[in-house]
Amino acid sequence: MLRPVKMSRVVVAGSKDVIAPVVDKLHELRLLHIVNYNGSQPNFEMGKPIGKAKEYSEDLIKLRSISRYLDIKSKAPEKKYPESQVLSEMDNLLNNVGADTNATFERITAIDAEIKSKQDQIRTLKPLTVLPLPLESYYGYDSLATFVGTAASAVDADVAKVAPVSEVYSGSDKKATVVAVFVPVEKAGEVSSALAEHGFSEISVPRLEGSADSAITTLEGSIKSLEGEKAPLQKKLADMRKQYEDLMLATDEFLSVETQKTEAPLRFAETANAFVIDGWVPSDQFSGLKSGLESAAGGKVDVSLIDEKEADDLVEHGEDVPTKMDNPSLVRPYELITRLFAIPEYKEFDPSLLIFVFFPIMFGLILGDIGYGVMTLCVLVLLKRKFRTPGWQQLINIVMIASVWSIIFGFFFGEIFGPLGLWGRIFGHLPHEEIVKLQLQGLYFGEGVYGQFGRVGPLDIFPMDRLATNAVLLLIGTSIFIGVVHTGVGSILGIKTELNYGEKKHAYFERLPVLLFQLFFAIFLLGLVMGQMTMVGLGAIVILVSIVMMVMGPEGPMGMAHVPFYVSNLISYLRLLAIGLASVGLAFAANQLAFYVIMPMLSGGAHNSADFTAIAIVVGLAVLVVVHFINMLLGILSPFMHPLRLHYVEMFTKFYSAHGGGVEYAPFGHVRRFLKV
Amino acid sequence: MVAITDAGTMYGLIAVGAGLATGLAGIGAGVGEQGIGAAVVGVVAEEPGFLGKGLFLMLLPETLIIFGLAVSLILMFAWTPFAGLVTP
Repeated sequence: MLRPVKMSRVVVAGSKDVIAPVVDKLHELRLLHIVNYNGSQPNFEMGKPIGKAKEYSEDLIKLRSISRYLDIKSKAPEKKYPESQVLSEMDNLLNNVGADTNATFERITAIDAEIKSKQDQIRTLKPLTVLPLPLESYYGYDSLATFVGTAASAVDADVAKVAPVSEVYSGSDKKATVVAVFVPVEKAGEVSSALAEHGFSEISVPRLEGSADSAITTLEGSIKSLEGEKAPLQKKLADMRKQYEDLMLATDEFLSVETQKTEAPLRFAETANAFVIDGWVPSDQFSGLKSGLESAAGGKVDVSLIDEKEADDLVEHGEDVPTKMDNPSLVRPYELITRLFAIPEYKEFDPSLLIFVFFPIMFGLILGDIGYGVMTLCVLVLLKRKFRTPGWQQLINIVMIASVWSIIFGFFFGEIFGPLGLWGRIFGHLPHEEIVKLQLQGLYFGEGVYGQFGRVGPLDIFPMDRLATNAVLLLIGTSIFIGVVHTGVGSILGIKTELNYGEKKHAYFERLPVLLFQLFFAIFLLGLVMGQMTMVGLGAIVILVSIVMMVMGPEGPMGMAHVPFYVSNLISYLRLLAIGLASVGLAFAANQLAFYVIMPMLSGGAHNSADFTAIAIVVGLAVLVVVHFINMLLGILSPFMHPLRLHYVEMFTKFYSAHGGGVEYAPFGHVRRFLKV
Repeated sequence: MVAITDAGTMYGLIAVGAGLATGLAGIGAGVGEQGIGAAVVGVVAEEPGFLGKGLFLMLLPETLIIFGLAVSLILMFAWTPFAGLVTP
């Protein structure tokens, strides 16, 4: 589980007569991760596409453009089509339906453009309504220059100065002064510069006739009729979409599969009469691949394993072994978190299982509230029905498992929507005098009880009120302890990984000292807290030894420079306590605010809950709901992000991805979603 | 009226110090993250596959605030000489 599936290197060689059945069978089996032929061998050429490759890819392009016009996107399949139906309907789909769609879509685009140009005209005409001139008088002169536009101030006097023979019309609407100036052509230059001083900006008058007002009315009328034409066209597209959506997706899948098959030989090596396919296959599936291919090709193909030494040699020369992560279905959602960081290399460990173990515990430890846990679980069950894509499903599964843990920790912490509130009502709490007694003894861990069982655990620490001083100190220790275990597991895997790569020096002088350092640093701290000088001494000695080992390691004295990073790694786990405290604090504040401030205040200072007025209860509950809702949103986000960080930064750096990411196992083939197999 | 005592003043100062430790560390972490965050968003916009590595880089300065918090916790709960002052 911690290791990817074991892979074997395979060579498939055969006669060119059987290339088509072999490709068909390979595609159906979905087992072989093909290594592309790079053209480096003499006597071998890159293969050429077989069959109707060109035709299929052209059809695919045509189909995709139609589905773009119809706005068809991939979705969960509702109906499956047999290949024969797809084949018989493809012609109609690509030609008749396609032509119809194109024509409709183009008409809609044209209408949109026309509407936009008419709207622009209306916008330019609007200012001209304040002038008394009909539109035809603005254009069509040989000896006159016209300036129509807006100006910041009155222009009459200045224009008259430069061009004594001139005509100026002006009017103003709410925003600006609109002017129309008519001058002899030869004065145009001077007038233009005179106008520029008044902040003149030109309006290009559309070549229309009649008054500006009536032109606008006409334009608005034609926009309305264009929109009337557009609506049924859009409805037609929507109807076509509804009718053909599934068939289009099925056809897309069919064409993708066929293109994949016909173009596959581009990845093979070929001679005049034979072809060779290199690839990787999970070792336990080899016999299935061999028998499948041999029966498909009628014995005209040879499928053989390359022995491990030769395969290692190929890897040495830069071939990547594909990684196929191997986890039980419960752990599989957590591959999302691994994949988000990097695909593990073939020789590395796959950390998904560790994430499955630690991540939900950390999430639960931070959130740790029965109320929030149950609410989150309910919301997630609803979301799971709504979001059906695999990515969302994985994410939702991750948080669901985590919220179950938060309910479990809620029982440890005695929290239902915050501490000291509902728990006491439901499960009961200690009498007041006993709480005071415990506080005086310094043994106060909280006041809740588990009904008739009372308080349980050593020193009666459960249910533990996280805001009590003793609990905080205990949780500091717990957080650091989780940190030591977490980073320790990381370091051990780091040592094994380096040994897998054959890097003994890195294993024993780079990874091992980190493990020793972090483990004994924790023992050193524990010794200080408990006043055990032997533990302090032992810790100090091993820390020194580990630092010496780091100096002897591959990085030399520079290796020591990482020491602060290793210390901060451990301190970083305090966030498990800290973020939890923050959300407990907010929940506690909300409860206090509602029950001890707002409700008594609005009831005229009543202290007994029986005396609260109706309005006080309504307002108090509203405040409670709002604050708890915000707290819950934050309470899902940060308990998710911070354990993620603890994995990525504190744990993965110890063993993961130091050799660069791997290549995911992608067998040749296609999952059929819309086609019947 | 509550009398102002030496112990009370001391406790108040400890509380102020604890607040400053967490608060200032938070500002520091924020300043550190702003540049990284902007860069990461830029990278992810170009190449969505870098989201994980981007998050890794972006969450690095988060440790700073935990340091501040550790100091606060020590001040508030674990520093016995002062804790003794607080509960006579």
